[in-house]
Amino acid sequence: MVQAEMVGAMEFQELSMKHNVSGVPQTTINDGAANVVGAVPESNMLAELKRITAK
Amino acid sequence: MATLLNADVRKQIEDAFAPMKEYVHIMFFGQKENCEYCADAQQLLEEVVEISEKISMTIYDLDDDADIAKNYNVDKAPGIVIAAKDGDVISDFGVRFAGIPSGHEFTSLIQDIILVSGRDSHLSDDTRDFLKALTEPVLLQVFVTPT
Repeated sequence: MVQAEMVGAMEFQELSMKHNVSGVPQTTINDGAANVVGAVPESNMLAELKRITAK
Repeated sequence: MATLLNADVRKQIEDAFAPMKEYVHIMFFGQKENCEYCADAQQLLEEVVEISEKISMTIYDLDDDADIAKNYNVDKAPGIVIAAKDGDVISDFGVRFAGIPSGHEFTSLIQDIILVSGRDSHLSDDTRDFLKALTEPVLLQVFVTPT
């Protein structure tokens, strides 16, 4: 149900531009439903996931 | 061909892999055209796989093996799936790399292999409960740079 992909921002620039990557790491969830910048604690990531899946 | 990993690095990885318990299977997807780093990425992984008998790898082509790529939701080359292997059974935990795992990403690759070998995500109970209840797929794409 969950897939986590590390994406080389330099190699896949089109995708990086699509998601406005300006700082790394940036975690883009479900093709832009949410963007989390920085290496955030697990609880922050969970809160973000809860927010977008609650819609 | 010259090796990408020198003896020092190989030794460090060997030490890091030493406590590995369970088997890990890597699926590598390359592409013949427009893939600047496919050859290097494949060689890098081959050198890593060689270090531990707990790690195996199969090589695919994103175009020639389109069915397998689709099955594993791989749409980029180089594309890397780090899966668990128990006997003949491959279990996909959803762990992927898109692009060559060099620089800092190389450390992440080694850690991911060890994590998958441990069969434990180390996530909190809260997170596990939430993920268990998911009804729609979630795709996390972590954009990284080698430096």
